[in-house]
Amino acid sequence: MIALRDVSKTVTSGTEPLTILHPLTTEIPRGQFVAVVGPSGSGKSTLLGLIAGLDAPTSGSVVIDGVDITKLDEDALAKLRGEKIGFVFQFFHLIPSLTAYENVAVPMEIAGAADAADRARRLLEEVGLTGRAHHYPSQLSGGEQQRVALARALANNLPIVLADEPTGNLDSTNGRHIMQLLKDIHQTRGTTLVLVTHDAEVAAQADTRLVMRDGRVVEGLSR
Amino acid sequence: MKFVLRMAVRETRSSWRRLLFFFVCIAVGVAAIVALRSVIQNVRGVFGREARSLIAADVLISTNREWTDAARATIDRRLVEAGADAHTDTVETPTMVRPADSSKPTARMVELRAVGSEFPLYGTVGLQSGELYSYGMLQNRGVLVRAELLTALSVKVGDELTIGQSSFTIKGVITNEPGRRVGDFSLGPGILIALEDLPATGLLQFGSRVRRVLQVRVPEEPRIRPLVETLRDDFKDQFVNARSFRGTDDEIGRDFDRAENYLSLVGLVIVILGGIAVSSVTRVFVLQKMRSIAVLKCVGARSGQIIGVYLLQVLTLGFAGSLLGVVLARLAILGIPLALGNAASMLADVQYGITWSAAIQGIGVGVLVSLLFSVVPLLQIRMVKPSLLFRDEPLRGGRDWTRIIATVLVSAALVALTAWQAASLRVGLSVCAGFCGLALALHVTGRLLVRTMAPLANSKSFPLRHAVLHLSRPGNQTRVILLAVGLGAFFIVGVRSLQASLLEEFAVQSGEGSPDMFLMDIQRDQADGIRAFLTDPSHGAGPFRFIPVLRARVVGVDGRSVQLESFEDVRARGGLGREYTITYRDHLEANEKIASGAFWRGPSSVAEVSIEQGMAERNQLGVGDTIRFDVLGRVIPARVTSVRAVDWRDSRSGGFIFVFRPGVLENAPQMIISPLRGPEGPEARARFQHDLVEAFPNVSVIDFHEILVTVRDVMSKVTLAVSVVGGLVLLSGALILIGAVAMTKFQRVYEAAVFKTLGANTRTIARMLLLEYGVLGLLAGTVGSLGAIALTWGVSRWALDIPWRISVGEHVGGVIATTALVAAIGVLSSLDVLRHKPLATLRAE
Repeated sequence: MIALRDVSKTVTSGTEPLTILHPLTTEIPRGQFVAVVGPSGSGKSTLLGLIAGLDAPTSGSVVIDGVDITKLDEDALAKLRGEKIGFVFQFFHLIPSLTAYENVAVPMEIAGAADAADRARRLLEEVGLTGRAHHYPSQLSGGEQQRVALARALANNLPIVLADEPTGNLDSTNGRHIMQLLKDIHQTRGTTLVLVTHDAEVAAQADTRLVMRDGRVVEGLSR
Repeated sequence: MKFVLRMAVRETRSSWRRLLFFFVCIAVGVAAIVALRSVIQNVRGVFGREARSLIAADVLISTNREWTDAARATIDRRLVEAGADAHTDTVETPTMVRPADSSKPTARMVELRAVGSEFPLYGTVGLQSGELYSYGMLQNRGVLVRAELLTALSVKVGDELTIGQSSFTIKGVITNEPGRRVGDFSLGPGILIALEDLPATGLLQFGSRVRRVLQVRVPEEPRIRPLVETLRDDFKDQFVNARSFRGTDDEIGRDFDRAENYLSLVGLVIVILGGIAVSSVTRVFVLQKMRSIAVLKCVGARSGQIIGVYLLQVLTLGFAGSLLGVVLARLAILGIPLALGNAASMLADVQYGITWSAAIQGIGVGVLVSLLFSVVPLLQIRMVKPSLLFRDEPLRGGRDWTRIIATVLVSAALVALTAWQAASLRVGLSVCAGFCGLALALHVTGRLLVRTMAPLANSKSFPLRHAVLHLSRPGNQTRVILLAVGLGAFFIVGVRSLQASLLEEFAVQSGEGSPDMFLMDIQRDQADGIRAFLTDPSHGAGPFRFIPVLRARVVGVDGRSVQLESFEDVRARGGLGREYTITYRDHLEANEKIASGAFWRGPSSVAEVSIEQGMAERNQLGVGDTIRFDVLGRVIPARVTSVRAVDWRDSRSGGFIFVFRPGVLENAPQMIISPLRGPEGPEARARFQHDLVEAFPNVSVIDFHEILVTVRDVMSKVTLAVSVVGGLVLLSGALILIGAVAMTKFQRVYEAAVFKTLGANTRTIARMLLLEYGVLGLLAGTVGSLGAIALTWGVSRWALDIPWRISVGEHVGGVIATTALVAAIGVLSSLDVLRHKPLATLRAE
């Protein structure tokens, strides 16, 4: 379970402090599909980053399966992500110097999995990229890159997948394909899925919908 | 660990091309270290094996006086005590030789050595004909000569040579002579004659510069050292010197060690330059890899693991670069026998190859430098936060103690590395300090120059404006290129200007009307004859002077600051203990001024001496002190009544450290030297020397023109050697430049695409690149040239004591060449920036 307690984030914009996420308390039960919607700059990605421990909150705590991750150092956070959280970015963020297969294998290799190679191949098969395994990101289309990113997020069979506008940079066909894959993963593996999206149609398929505006959740909050 | 290994392999696969040039720099430096160390070790091996034959004996006992019966009795007694089983006398003296055939009017100074039948006690005399040497060849006026004498005198084996008053037949050509060291300073080629033929030559007159050497064989090695020490003790206040082959061996060993360690520092400097490039490129590399690092952190990698990945990559490339360096060194060494040709010297007998110890040291240095210089920039990886995948944010600033501590440790390790290479902590520290100072000076100058150029960023010319702006763009390599290329230019321009300056100085000295020949060893009773010879217009000599000279040694000082009781005390003060040529006169020469005290007028029966200022300062001597001189065995205490400042550059009048007041030395045995203006033209000069020596066989002639040729030759060799070093540094600079262009190319390709989209054509962009690298080259050349000006000033003033001259041609040429080189390399390695289509580039971005 993911629990946020009074989590806020303030950054310095120029010389002025700017609150991009006002104190927020909420819980996301295990296996839920949560869609976070709202206009640009409303704090959706910030929220996702805080849950993943990619960013530190200005105040409050983020608890994942009973562990307050705001108390962990960088290395412990990295370890936690390797064991529990997969992340899919809008801009894919694949490592350009690695092939598709290697991008998928990396998280498993970091975790020291013995069967990383086999599993990476299976995951690529699952996302329909068997034939593109040895291509570099620059040789793949946007849709293909996002599918590699998705396979990477699933690599260690992680209980939580956080996706930041995964279809935002894709055409509608590729977008639908990716969404289908995400839903399949959520349903077949019972993965907790937190998805940031602009797309109302996508959001409608979620168990819970959080609507954000100006750094606050204005709708769908569970307490 | 598996992950680190795998990632290191993958990262190397993708980025080795971009990093290649930096590691080629390491390779160049490692090659220099390995080649220099190996060659010196190769040569040393041969010299070490041959140490006994180098001095041709176990012990050498020598004197430049005649042996006294008492001295020989003492020596004989000591030799018996030490169990010496053989000894042989030799006599060495520089003298003039000439062909007996009077149709060849030429003469040449040689180093004559008269040997006994037992010579050599060790080793063999090598002959060009392949015949075995035997004393019989020398008996009955035979002479063995070096090949260069045959050429100089246009004679051949079988011809007759006149030495002093006797004729000798050339019996063969020497290729190796035990007891004569390669590289020893000599006034001419060596020749060998039989000791029994020496008296007939008439060369053993009073005052001749003759060295008598007793070569001794002692079968039991442990007894050699005590023998030498006992002899030194026996003769401590006399002109007798004893040394052993072991001493020579140690001396040679020390010389080689020093040569090996100092020369390989040159290689180290190049490796360190490569290291600076590695450091700079690693910093840029980390900046370029920030997103990948953030992604790795996002999928669970710890900072330590990621640092491990890149460190392993650097080590792999450093190791590969070092191996390449060893290969380059091997290739360079293969060329040595070709360069030496079939020269018949000990150097040609050396088996040249890479030694294991040199290869291991080179690789060690290459890998260590790569590692040390990349550690600090790689620590930046810790600062990369995965949140930058959401929003662009710079690396966290602030004081990072880990990096500060790492920097201190790395600096200490570099000092240790340099000290290890130089085999001396002091040298290690000074080289590091010197290098830092030089780098800092070049860096500051570079920054100032970049700032001076800044107003050009407002220039009306679009390409010029952007070229100047690019020099200070983020992630630019301006500093490191300025340092590397500037250092190369500094070496080359500096050394070439020094050479020009020195040659000019020599040319001034041997200029119009000034003496360009020296006659030495003129006996007093020959003075009138020589005067008549020189004034005879048919010989073509110009103005000349006679200067009386005596040889003396300081054996004690009774001064206000210094008290030296015995010759032992004097000898302990280094230079003061050597034998000096002194003169007496009642006037100052044109190149002398009184610095303190007063110069005498007229003769006096009380001994007074005037001393040279440098000597006075070095030994804290002054007016009022009394110096005791040993003049041919007679001790003369002389009061210092003046200190002279001598302008050594103007040595027309000769330079004397000690000048005596007339009235005391006139009756002492003495010789005359005569500086004179020789005839014009090589043929007239050769004939002059020949005729003079024919009339006065014991007189030696030193021809400045020949010396100038030798000096030019030696200097151009030194200049070539240093220019090669400068060339290597410049090559490293060029490689760093190519590497820097490759490293930042993606940024340029993108910018060029934007410019093209905004309407710039290929020509404008090409002009921009040309100007940017041209300006960079101009700055680097100027930095190097300014450095060279400082260097020549310092060396001229402090080391060579010659007036400082700026050779404008060298500097202007250097700056132009550097500008052209950098511009050409920069533009050539950026050509594909011009070829990229803008749309494809922008889409990829």
